[in-house]
Amino acid sequence: MIDIDNIPATLREAAQRAATACLAEVVGVTAVVIATVDGFDLAAAFRGNQDATRIAAMASSISAISSVVALEAGLGSFKSVTINTDAGFAIVQAVPRSDIELVIHVIADGDAILAQSMHRAGVMARILAGTET
Amino acid sequence: MKEYKLLITGTMGAGKTTAIRAISDIAPIVTDVVNHDSSVDKARTTVGLDYGMLVLDNGDRIRLFGTPGQARFDFLWQILARKALGLVILIDNSRPDPLADLAMFLDGFASHLETLPCVIGVGRTETHTTTTLDHYADALEARGLVFPILPVDVRQRADVVSLIDTLLGQIEAGMDLDL
Repeated sequence: MIDIDNIPATLREAAQRAATACLAEVVGVTAVVIATVDGFDLAAAFRGNQDATRIAAMASSISAISSVVALEAGLGSFKSVTINTDAGFAIVQAVPRSDIELVIHVIADGDAILAQSMHRAGVMARILAGTET
Repeated sequence: MKEYKLLITGTMGAGKTTAIRAISDIAPIVTDVVNHDSSVDKARTTVGLDYGMLVLDNGDRIRLFGTPGQARFDFLWQILARKALGLVILIDNSRPDPLADLAMFLDGFASHLETLPCVIGVGRTETHTTTTLDHYADALEARGLVFPILPVDVRQRADVVSLIDTLLGQIEAGMDLDL
C-alpha cells in the first residue's frame, strides 16, 4: 500500500498537469480534483474559490457508493458517474491504477458540453492509469 | 411492522463497520476502500456508508447506517443523520486523545443531539485505562449532555446488541416504540 505521504512525485505532477490542462481547455469546467479513493486530494485546478479537500472527500464517497451499486446490480467495476443538475454537472471518474486507485472529479457549469467533459475525464483516467500517453 | 433508522458514527478504526456486521440480519452493504492514511493502522476504511438491518422479535426492523469516521466526510454525517431516531458514537480508547475524538462527533452532530437520543460506546477500555468512563461522563456534563456510556467490544454481538438496546430504551422513553 502507498500511503498519502509517499505517493510518487511523478504521479502527483502528472495529475496536476492533467487537472490544469482540463480546466484550461474544456469550456465550462470550473474544478478538477484528482484524489485517492479514500479521499485525499493529489492535484486540483479551480476557477474561483473551491475546497479541494472537500471535493476529494465527496468524490471518494460518490465513487465508493457507485461501486456498491454496480456490484449489487451485477454490473461489474465502477467506471464513472455523472450528476446532472439544472446549472451544470459533475463527473466522478475512476482511475484503475494497480498501485494506487484514484478518482477524478470534474465540476462544470452550464456552458460545458457533457459529452466533451466525459470524454476528457476518460482520457485523463487512461493517462493516469498508464494505458494512454 | 415498523422500521426505524439508527446511525452509528465514531472514530476511524473504532469498529463501526464491525458493529453493523456483528448484528445485521442481512449481508451488510459496505463502501470501504484501501486506506492511504499511514497514521491509522488499518487496511481499509469506509468512505461512503455502511448499511445493515436488524429484525426484532416483533418483526419491527432497525435499519443501521454507519458513517465514515474522518472529519473530511462530515458532509455525509449530516445526510445520514436525517430522519435517524438515534445515534451511537463509538470511540476507540487506545487513540491518543479519545476525549477530543468524542468532542469532534459531539460538535459534528450538535444540532441533531439537541433532540436525538444517543449512546456512547467506548472500545479498548480494558487495555487502555488512562481515560475512564467517568472522564467521558465529565466531558458530556461539561456540555450539558447526559448519555449512557458503555464499554464495548464491537466484535462481540452481545456488546453491540446491548448498545442498541440501550439506545432503543432512550428512544422508547421519548416515544411509543413497541419493542
